[in-house]
Amino acid sequence: MVNDETLVKVAETLGEEDAVEIILTLKDAGEITDDQIANETGIRLNFVRKILYKLYDHSIVSLRRSRDQETGWFIFHWKLQPDQVEGFILGQKRNVLGKLNTRLSYENNHDFYYCGTPGCKRTPFEEAVETLFKCPTCDKPMNHFDNREVVEVLSEKVTQLRKELGEESAAL
Amino acid sequence: MPRRSDLEHKALQFISRTSDEGVLQVDLWHQLKASSREGSRIAIKLENKGFIRRERELFGGRWTYRLYPKKEPVSIISIKNCPCLICSDSIRCGAYGAISPNVCERLTTWAINLIHEKKSVPGDP
Repeated sequence: MVNDETLVKVAETLGEEDAVEIILTLKDAGEITDDQIANETGIRLNFVRKILYKLYDHSIVSLRRSRDQETGWFIFHWKLQPDQVEGFILGQKRNVLGKLNTRLSYENNHDFYYCGTPGCKRTPFEEAVETLFKCPTCDKPMNHFDNREVVEVLSEKVTQLRKELGEESAAL
Repeated sequence: MPRRSDLEHKALQFISRTSDEGVLQVDLWHQLKASSREGSRIAIKLENKGFIRRERELFGGRWTYRLYPKKEPVSIISIKNCPCLICSDSIRCGAYGAISPNVCERLTTWAINLIHEKKSVPGDP
């Protein structure tokens, strides 16, 4: 289960400020149509639908369809599924953990060279040799870049995520 | 009348906020405006699902339960600013692909920001 604060943060992550308003409206309303959400929040209907479908892709909201007896058009009824938010967060954490593990192992196994110019990239040793230790972007000479701090923060984040996912023992 | 699952969610949110102090079952149902019968059923259900723990307590000469959260609520804070979270290339991103976390500049910037944040925390070595 997640609290309201987390719900808001998930909304912010997925769809800016408007998603927060939409999620809060959904939370209070129970089941509600996209038209009603647009009226209540003042957000344009197409944008409301765009965000709702994004939330639907992650199973954070559920959808029920009914037909308008007069016009014959479909009406979409949306409902927040707070229980699914936990699964979404855990899934995202696993995804981020995978990427960070890959990057951490790359940082651990490479030496980097950097010219010091903001906007230029660090270059691994193998590529730096080919350019004779000159920056491929600004042509300045490159010096060894100490990546210990990068390794340290990445390791800390990986440990934190493993702990949060209950994978500490697997890491040992 | 609110649905049972909605009440369950509200009850769990309330109990989660009480952390180590817990909350008396009777206080919780007053707070949620539910009947004691409904309340105790939800408490049992939450206990069976492993979300809370109930401990018997004598209160005002009557036996009741104090409810404690068992599980920390899941939080997104640890990954909130990580670029991988909202990255549209996430599916195609892998160790040996053209798009890779190894060379991702957004990830580098994020890691450097983490280093700066760490340095700016007073008292942190």
